[in-house]
Amino acid sequence: MPVVIDMDKCGKISNCPGEGLCIKLCEQGALVEEDGELVLYPDKCDDCDLCITNCPNQAISKD
Amino acid sequence: MSAVERNGNDKRSLDYIRDKCVGCGICTSICPTESLKLGPVLPIARGLVDMDYVNVNKNSCVLCGLCASACPFEAFEFKINDENIKDLDAYPSWKHNASIDDEECLYCKACETACPQDAITIKRTLPVRSKLVTGEINIDEDECIYCGICEEMCPPQAITMTVKEQMERDIKVDEDKCVYCLVCKRACPVDAIKAVCSSCSYGDYRLKSEDAEIKGRSILQEDLCVNCGWCQEICPVDAAKVTKPFEGEVIMDTTECKGDSCHACIDVCPCNAVSLVDNKSSIEEKFCILCGACSNVCPQNCITIKRDKMNLENIRSKSWQNKLSGLMEGK
Repeated sequence: MPVVIDMDKCGKISNCPGEGLCIKLCEQGALVEEDGELVLYPDKCDDCDLCITNCPNQAISKD
Repeated sequence: MSAVERNGNDKRSLDYIRDKCVGCGICTSICPTESLKLGPVLPIARGLVDMDYVNVNKNSCVLCGLCASACPFEAFEFKINDENIKDLDAYPSWKHNASIDDEECLYCKACETACPQDAITIKRTLPVRSKLVTGEINIDEDECIYCGICEEMCPPQAITMTVKEQMERDIKVDEDKCVYCLVCKRACPVDAIKAVCSSCSYGDYRLKSEDAEIKGRSILQEDLCVNCGWCQEICPVDAAKVTKPFEGEVIMDTTECKGDSCHACIDVCPCNAVSLVDNKSSIEEKFCILCGACSNVCPQNCITIKRDKMNLENIRSKSWQNKLSGLMEGK
């Protein structure tokens, strides 16, 4: 089950205290930057949950 | 007699030494005032963010010194009147350590290569090679046609031929390099080289044992060492001895482990004790110091650290004993 991103909490990557930390941590390419926005590719998510535990905005979770 | 007494005359100071910290979180779990916060350990370990592993809230810290006593890596320095408490009789002292016995050491450098913290340096002086072989070699310059075949074939590159002009030619054998293998003699097309190897014909008895001695010394940097036990395990002659900070076990439930997708445990382990086996995290307990860094960063909670004993002695205060014994609970 892929992760869910709360875009209100996330905000733009330029505002992220971790400067897009989730993108850097995700080695599956499930979280990528496109035009300054965080984009999730659910098919690629491997459920490692590193993004959930490390997101400085607590914007990533699972249903 | 007062129930509580404080003497404000003592100068107390706490310093965090980032280079020694591994982000294990022992200090944050022991701090009675919750003045220590663990940062994003995995992103720091991966070099994705430039931060300290631990943040000290100086407004709430009561300068008790528990963190400095509990940290097995000496990443906190707590001083009373400029004296480090680890040197004070009244405070606990860790009994974990590592040492290399130079009397036993063969200077093979296995520990230097294996040490995950680069804490070991082996300096060694090798025997003089020419003293380990005996023989004679001579090139007859009247016979020599300066073809250069011997120079080209000599395995230790002991032969040097120089041709300045047509008839100004020279050939020399460096007897410090020559091992009397006789390849040159056999290859010479005009038999200009006379050479014998007396090591082969007479055996080893002409060699002096002191000429073959390898001298050296080991340097173990205690400020870098985490007492993981790699040196002890890899040493072929048991010259390295390690006492770890904790005794206990690691309990793994890797059902949910994502292996290569995550590998957070591998990245934070200061001991190089974690690897992936069949794409699941596997901890080699021989090298684990039960610091708990991996357990904290694992998103799937696959790792439980169970400490049975800590090699911290001289804990005089009852309240410190209670607090520190909390580290023995499974986490």
